[in-house]
Amino acid sequence: MSDPKSGAGTFQTKAPTKEPEKKDEEHLSEEDLALKQQLELYVERIQDPDPGLQKVALESVRHEIRTSTSSMTSVPKPLKFLGPHYGTLKAFYETMPESDLKKYLADILSVLALTMSAEGERESLKYRLLGSEGDIGSWGHEYVRNLAGEIAEEFMKQQSEEAPIEDLTELVRQIVSFHMKHNAEPEAVDLLMELQVDDLELLVQDVDNTNFKRTCLYLTSTARYLPGPDDMLALDIAYTLYLKFAEFANALQIALFLDKMQYVSQVFTSCDNLLRKKQFCYILARHGITFELDDEMAAEDDDREVLQDIINNIKLSESYLILARDIEVVEPKSPEDIYKAYLLDGRASAGASVDSARQNLAATFVNAFVNAGFGQDKLMTIPSDSSSGASSGNWLFKNKEHGKTSAAASLGMILLWDVDSGLAQIDKYLHSNDKHVIAGALLGVGIVNCGVKNHCDPALALLSEYIGNEDSSIQIAAIMGLGIAYAGAQNEQICSSLTPLLNNARTPLDVISFTAISLGLIYVGSCNEEVAQAIIFAVKYRSESELGEPLTRLLPLGLGLLYLGKQESVEATAEVSKTFNEKIRKYCDMTLLSCAYAGTGNVLKVQNLLGHCAQHLEKGESHQGPAVLGIAMVAMAEELGLEMSIRSLEHLLQYGEQNIRRAVPLALGLLCISNPKVNVMDTLSRLSHDTDSEVAMAAVISLGLIGAGTNNARIAGMLRNLSSYYYKDASLLFCVRVAQGLVHLGKGLLTLNPYHSDRFLLSPTALAGLVTMLHACLDMKAIVLGKYHFVLYFLVLAMQPRMLMTVDENLKPLPVQVRVGQAVDVVGQAGRPKTITSFQTHSTPILLASGDRAELATEKYIPLSPILEGHVILIENPEYREDS
Amino acid sequence: MLTVSVKWQKEVFKAVEIDTSQPPYVFKCQLYDLTGVPPERQKIMVKGGLLKDDADWSTVGVKQGQKLMMMGTADEIVKAPEKGPVFMEDLPEEEQVVSLGHSAGLFNLGNTCYMNSTVQCLHSVPELKSALTKYSHSVRSNDLDQTSHMLTVATRDLFNELDKSVKPVAPMQFWMVLRKKYPQFGQLHNGVFMQQDAEECWTQLLYTLSQSLRSPGSSENLDAVKDLFGIELASSIHCQESGEESSETESVYSLKCHISQEVNHLHEGLKHGLKSELEKASPALGRSATYLKESRINGLPRYLTIQFVRFFWKRESNQKAKILRKVDYPLELDVYDLCSDELHKQLEGPRQLLRDEEGKKLGLKANEKSRSSKDDDFKMTDAEGFIKCNWRIIWDYISRRDSR
Repeated sequence: MSDPKSGAGTFQTKAPTKEPEKKDEEHLSEEDLALKQQLELYVERIQDPDPGLQKVALESVRHEIRTSTSSMTSVPKPLKFLGPHYGTLKAFYETMPESDLKKYLADILSVLALTMSAEGERESLKYRLLGSEGDIGSWGHEYVRNLAGEIAEEFMKQQSEEAPIEDLTELVRQIVSFHMKHNAEPEAVDLLMELQVDDLELLVQDVDNTNFKRTCLYLTSTARYLPGPDDMLALDIAYTLYLKFAEFANALQIALFLDKMQYVSQVFTSCDNLLRKKQFCYILARHGITFELDDEMAAEDDDREVLQDIINNIKLSESYLILARDIEVVEPKSPEDIYKAYLLDGRASAGASVDSARQNLAATFVNAFVNAGFGQDKLMTIPSDSSSGASSGNWLFKNKEHGKTSAAASLGMILLWDVDSGLAQIDKYLHSNDKHVIAGALLGVGIVNCGVKNHCDPALALLSEYIGNEDSSIQIAAIMGLGIAYAGAQNEQICSSLTPLLNNARTPLDVISFTAISLGLIYVGSCNEEVAQAIIFAVKYRSESELGEPLTRLLPLGLGLLYLGKQESVEATAEVSKTFNEKIRKYCDMTLLSCAYAGTGNVLKVQNLLGHCAQHLEKGESHQGPAVLGIAMVAMAEELGLEMSIRSLEHLLQYGEQNIRRAVPLALGLLCISNPKVNVMDTLSRLSHDTDSEVAMAAVISLGLIGAGTNNARIAGMLRNLSSYYYKDASLLFCVRVAQGLVHLGKGLLTLNPYHSDRFLLSPTALAGLVTMLHACLDMKAIVLGKYHFVLYFLVLAMQPRMLMTVDENLKPLPVQVRVGQAVDVVGQAGRPKTITSFQTHSTPILLASGDRAELATEKYIPLSPILEGHVILIENPEYREDS
Repeated sequence: MLTVSVKWQKEVFKAVEIDTSQPPYVFKCQLYDLTGVPPERQKIMVKGGLLKDDADWSTVGVKQGQKLMMMGTADEIVKAPEKGPVFMEDLPEEEQVVSLGHSAGLFNLGNTCYMNSTVQCLHSVPELKSALTKYSHSVRSNDLDQTSHMLTVATRDLFNELDKSVKPVAPMQFWMVLRKKYPQFGQLHNGVFMQQDAEECWTQLLYTLSQSLRSPGSSENLDAVKDLFGIELASSIHCQESGEESSETESVYSLKCHISQEVNHLHEGLKHGLKSELEKASPALGRSATYLKESRINGLPRYLTIQFVRFFWKRESNQKAKILRKVDYPLELDVYDLCSDELHKQLEGPRQLLRDEEGKKLGLKANEKSRSSKDDDFKMTDAEGFIKCNWRIIWDYISRRDSR
């Protein structure tokens, strides 16, 4: 709320008049003197018993005040000269009988109170309510602002004293519509929120074509800082407004933010333009949710099929390869191209003469990450010109035992999103007689189908055959494959085949753990009761010793994923989790809390989690790891909270115990995922030399995460030096290699950031994938460095091309000039401010770094999406005239 | 009869007819004709399930015009190679060492850095290692005392251990024997073993080894250690006052690099170290006079040891002081100008060859006609052995000392 006396006035200032005022009151110009005498005369007349005379005088005063247009920094002259008479007029007012004239006087007193009323008296409001209730704007902008401030004060007082609430609604309505008409949308929204958000509906009637955009922008961005449930209400209003003004793409984004599927459907049914619907489908596809169109949303069968194909990401691989060709990075890269050992001097670069299984496994991961989605590499896929199929088989068998699982699965990563040729290439491994190879092939099938839905459901058909396999490694791979392929799909068929495993006493622990995670992924953020019950059951019937196993940590996480971002909905389950064995109770509590509030930026929950980290542990407790990760998960929602939590994590590093220090690098990795902030980079670089090897390992992996898909030269250099520093330590070297692979993820075309659409939307499946991988990294030695290294493939859920691809009406790539630069926050700014700064002009398709925003550099086309990210359909601008 | 379309890899076969009265196996045979994928390798996906060979079409629920997806290839099935690769992790420890490319380290047993660095330096001399392996445990020559014998055996065992392990080794036995043989290394200060001079350890150990590795019977290989490390010096002693001159030869195990104000480079220090003044009785003058002794190298060893003389006796404070002056050293040391004329003659030929060889590498044409290749090879290795004189040893020692 603005304080009127602070004088943010924008009216013209009459500078010369100030000077004589200061010197001497008596030295007035003749004009001013005349005015002063005139006004004094009016004041006398007002007190005249003759109503006729009174009326004339009042009219005149009113006229004088209204026509004065100077700013509040120098008080308008009529107000100034009337000031000394404020008291007299007030006294006279009290003696007046009820009449129209009295109301007239009240109006004038209300205006005079603007300067004369004592602080906190709210006389302006008082007289306004007693007055004639005429047009509020006629008294000027400053008056309205002052009044709005007094209303808010009054309202607060009424609330605290529980005094009867006077009816301010009519006045508020007037003020709001005045603000809305005069480009002061933030003030209007603020006033309404100050009073009671229920009143936000008042906005709807005052919003028109010119101001709805600014209003909605303000609503959506303030929603982040509102306590629930007010934030939801504010977004609801924004949604209604967008829908009212047919800005469907914006409405869809808010619908996705609110995660309300009926809103999404409503957007589809309200819009009747097929091209726009295609754009909606692209937005849905990027968000990574499963959504089935029905007759109402798209009447024609053919249209519906085209739309559904877009949602199902059928063409994602194609677009990605177009981008790769445009940027000229199609050529496959080998792990050696990434390691760049020739840049290092001396001993570390000397290649060992014997294959090391650990280092070959690292090379497998590096190869998979670097060539992800390109369909060709130098280790796994057979080059077409080589006659014998030896090369692929050879590399596969250069991995040892369970390493072969990751190697075969890496084929899925290389052929990511390309279901047709992916399945064809993986097929031959399914017939292998080595159980690890079969397991890898199954996992590969799941990875290929990640984020892509095929109407034949090949992943389900293939993998469900193996769910009941007697070999647990094959079982795990099939289950994990299903989890990756059907993340967020809420597929009941899978649910009904997986839940019995959880309840079966003979299922091995590791199978149970991966089943819980897969179910968590498939039903991510769904709050599904049935699945929750099954997992709870599985946790309850673990023996004390089983609860101590490293993989058990995946059980609470599976449960947590069901409530990802669903806030209060978790409470019932959290209550149940209190009955768990005390060994896992707190761990479960932390995991559920952090998952439920992930991506909300809820400060209270961050404080709660920090509180848990501040305690000193009794032996054997491990819940602080997920608590630290939880801080990152909750705080990653918006930039400000993110910066604050980075600072808090720094404190934890200094004062926390060892198990906290081990989790802090991972939390930093999540906060700055694919966004290499220099300060975080430095912190992690320092920690990567920590004396505690687990801290160092986590820091190294996190260096990879913050640089994921950026090709960041500084991080690449750091990792290279670490590879020479740790050349003797096989475990750390493995981590360094994996991190090197991550930095060059998709040769720099991919991102792991779960946030998209100008950092507004959070893809639940992407976050779930990241969190699963990070939880596994909490016990690096037992899981990632043990025989479950394939958990690294959970990252595939978060992998998305960081591109802007403009397409024409036939969805064919259409190169246009775009400006790319740093995004600027324009919320609540006047006029039409620039949205990007320090931009460069490029031709699409282009890569977008974190914090980048793009805008079209030409008027020739109109984008159908308000945010230029991912696929954007362009239509020709009918008003465009070629410059001659 | 139903017609469906079948998608296989990137191809789509439109209008494939299904005879619903026949089992699906027949349909698969139809697809075999189209794709060449044998029926048993075919996987046909029907709405989230696989088509079984003996399924009933009515329960499968295929509709007219439905799209089916087939997976399968006629490719050869990947087989594991007959002989899998050998992984480092599976090798026994001694073989892992080889593949690692570096040998194990030594634990510091408490201020034993001087000993560890000496052992590591000597350990990197393969000839010494082979000489030690020949040394028999039980037979002790008569002119060797018991402790020297034990120290030699301990050295041999320690070298063996270093070769076999990947993890750091604790040289307990060796240390004990070393202290027994040379009690000065066992000095205690406040109950802790004292810091010692590595040079002293090096000298003593080398001396012991030279004693014990002297092959008693054979005539030609007299002293293995001397062969490897011994430097032949020819000195001329000259007295300025009387003009007397004499010459002598001696054999030493290290060259000294004297560090004075004007020494900035190793080479200068070495030159400095080969000149010395001594006082002795002059028969001509009948009193003691100052003689100038100038030495030149008359025979170079395989491994040249150089001592940086960094300690000097501070007379005013009566204690040892360290010279902290920075002295540069090259990675390849040429001591040609420190050699005697006699050795110059020997070295000239090989040096010329070496230069030609390098010239060839750089693309210059050799001036001389090539000689017989056998001769060439011999002299080449000879020359390199002399001139490059395994610089690594000293360098290693210095870097170890400095990195501590």
